[in-house]
Amino acid sequence: MTWLDVLALAPVLVLVIGATTLLMAGAWYHETRPLIAGGIAVALVAAVTAGVAPPSPMEIAGLFSSAPFARYFAILWSLVAALILMLSLRYASEREFAAGEYVALVLFSAAGMALLSGATSLVGLFLSLESFTLALYILVSFHRNNNQGAEAGLKYLVLGAVATGFMAFGIALIYAASGTFHLPEALNGLQVGGHLRPWGLLGWGLALVAIGFKISLVPFHLWTPDVYQGAPAPVTALLATGSKGAVGAALVMVLASAPGAWQELVPLLWVLALLTMLVGSLCALPQENLKRLLAYSSVVHMGYLLTALLPGSPEGYSAVVFYLTVYTAASLGAFAVITSLSNAHGEPQKLAAWHGLGYRYPVRGAVLATCLLSLAGMPLTGGFIGKFVLFHAAIKGGFTGLAVVAILASLVSFAYYLRVVMVLYSSDEPAPALHPGTSLEHAVLLVCVSAILLLGLYPAPLLDLIATLIP
Amino acid sequence: MNTAPSIPGLWCHDMIGSVVFYLLAAATLTATLLCITRTSPVHAVIYLVHAFFDLALIFYLFGAPLVAAWEMIIYAGAIMVLFLFIIMMLELSPGGKPLTVDRRRWIPVLILSLVTLGCTVLLIIQDPSSAGSGTAYHASPRDFGTALFDHYALAVQVVSFQLLFAAVGAYYVGKGEPRKRGEQPS
Repeated sequence: MTWLDVLALAPVLVLVIGATTLLMAGAWYHETRPLIAGGIAVALVAAVTAGVAPPSPMEIAGLFSSAPFARYFAILWSLVAALILMLSLRYASEREFAAGEYVALVLFSAAGMALLSGATSLVGLFLSLESFTLALYILVSFHRNNNQGAEAGLKYLVLGAVATGFMAFGIALIYAASGTFHLPEALNGLQVGGHLRPWGLLGWGLALVAIGFKISLVPFHLWTPDVYQGAPAPVTALLATGSKGAVGAALVMVLASAPGAWQELVPLLWVLALLTMLVGSLCALPQENLKRLLAYSSVVHMGYLLTALLPGSPEGYSAVVFYLTVYTAASLGAFAVITSLSNAHGEPQKLAAWHGLGYRYPVRGAVLATCLLSLAGMPLTGGFIGKFVLFHAAIKGGFTGLAVVAILASLVSFAYYLRVVMVLYSSDEPAPALHPGTSLEHAVLLVCVSAILLLGLYPAPLLDLIATLIP
Repeated sequence: MNTAPSIPGLWCHDMIGSVVFYLLAAATLTATLLCITRTSPVHAVIYLVHAFFDLALIFYLFGAPLVAAWEMIIYAGAIMVLFLFIIMMLELSPGGKPLTVDRRRWIPVLILSLVTLGCTVLLIIQDPSSAGSGTAYHASPRDFGTALFDHYALAVQVVSFQLLFAAVGAYYVGKGEPRKRGEQPS
C-alpha cells in the first residue's frame, strides 16, 4: 500500500472509517437522530471525495480499479446510502433499531458496492460481493420484533450462502484453468484455440449461478419476492438498487475486460435473459402486494440489462450504466413512498390499502406514479430514454429477437404498473390515514423525481459522461 | 483434453499416489454424504471432521503440507470443535430421545477411520509428494505470510472488516430483546 493507493481508495476509506466510528459511538450513545445524521454526512462526504479525489491510473493492490468508471459508481452508491439513511431516520426510531449498528451496516454495504463496481480481480470481486451481502443479511432481519423480517433474513442467508459456495467454486475452477485471479488474464486464459476450455465453461457456469442469484435472474429468483416483502422498506430499497446495480456494474467490468473471451456463453445468457423477462412479467401481473410486485419488476429489469450486455459493445455497456442510474432513482423513489407512508404499526404493502391514496396524499401519489411510469418506460421519464438506449444497443448488436421480447415485456409491464396507479386514483371512500411523512422523506422523494424527470428530458450530458467512463 | 499440466501437482503420476488419492477422494465424498444425511448433529459433525482429515491428506499428497496443516488445525480442529461444543451446549438431539447404543452405527465410522489411518501410514512411509516434481509448489509459511500481508494486504483488510460487521450483526440479531406487549409492528 502506497500513499497513492490510499488516495485512490479514499471514498471507500471514508465510508468504512465512518462506519466503524459510528459503530463505536453507537455503543455508548443511543440517540438515533445524531447517529443517522452522522451516517448521512459520512455518505455525502464519501460521494464528494469520490468526485474530487484524482482517479489513480494504477490498480489498487491488483484487486480494485479506481478508474472513472469505479468512481462514478462510488458516487452513486454513496448517494444511495445517504438517501436510504435519510429515509430510515423516522422508520428506525419508530421501530427502535440500534442506530449505531444500522448506520454502520448501511455505510459498510455502500463501501462493498463501491469496491465491487471497480473489481478487477476475481478475489476482489468475491470479497466485495460478500462484504455487502453480509451486511444485507443482517439488515434484512434488522427488525427483531418482526417474524416476517426474520424469515426473510433466514431465506436470504441460506440461499445466499449456497450462491457464495457456487461463486467460490467457480472462481476456483477459473483459477485452476488459467492460473491467475486478475480479470483479463483469467478470462482470456480460459480460451484454447478460440474455444472455452471445459474447466473454464464449468467455472463460468458456477459463477453465473451465483451472479444470477445476486441479481435474481430467473431460475435463481425465487428468494426475491419473499425477501423484498419481509425486509424493512429502506433496506429493500438498498437491496433493489445498490445490491443489484453493483453486481450489474461488476458484470460490465468483467465482460468488458475480456472482449471475445465469453462468446460461447452468449447462448446461455440469451436463454437466461429471455426466461428472466418472461417469467418476471408473468409473475408480476397477478401480484396484490406492492413490494412483491416491485420485486418481480426488478427481476424483469435485470433481464433488460442482460439483453444490452449480450452484444458486448461499448454502446451496450454505456446503456447498461445509464439504465442502472435511472432504475436506481425510480426504484428508490417507489420504496421511499412506501417508507414515508409507513407508521409504527407497519408498512402499507397490500394494494387494497392504497385505494384513493393519490387523492389523500397527492404529492406522494404523484411521486409513486412517476416512479412506476419511469420503471415501465413512459416517455418524458428517464426510464424511456434508458430503455431506448438499451434496446437500441441490443438491436444494433444483432440481438433483435431478444430486443423484441424486451419491448413486449415492457408493454406488459405497463399493465401491472398502471394497475397500481389506477388503484392510487380510484376510490369511492376516503383513503385510510397513514403517516404524513417527514420533510427529510419528502426531500428524498424530490431527489428521486427530479433525477427521473431530468434524465428523461435532458439525458445528453449523462449519456456523454457515461460514454467516456466505459472501461 | 490437455488440461492436466495447467493444474500443478494434481495428478501424482506414480501408482501409489493415484491409489491413495482415489481412496481419499472416495472417503471424503462418503463422509460428506453421510454428514448431510445424519439426523443427529453430533454424528454429522464427526463425519464432517472425517471429511476434513481426508481433505488434509489430499492436500498433503498434492505437495501442500502447509494447507494440510491448516485444514487440520483450523477446520477439523478449531471450527469443528466449536460446532461440537455449541451443539452439545444447545442439546440439539433429534426428538430429545436418549441415544441407544447401536453397534451398526459404528461401521461406517470405523471403515472411514481405517481408510484415513491407512492412507496416513502409507503417506508417511512412501511420501509421494517429495518424490514427484511438486517441490516447486511448496510454499513455506514465510512465503505465504509475505504474499498475504504484502500482495493481498488489502484483501485481508476487507475480510477483517467483513468479520467485524458479521460479528456485530450476529450479536445484534442474536441478542434477545423483550417483546413489547400488545403491539407487533411489521
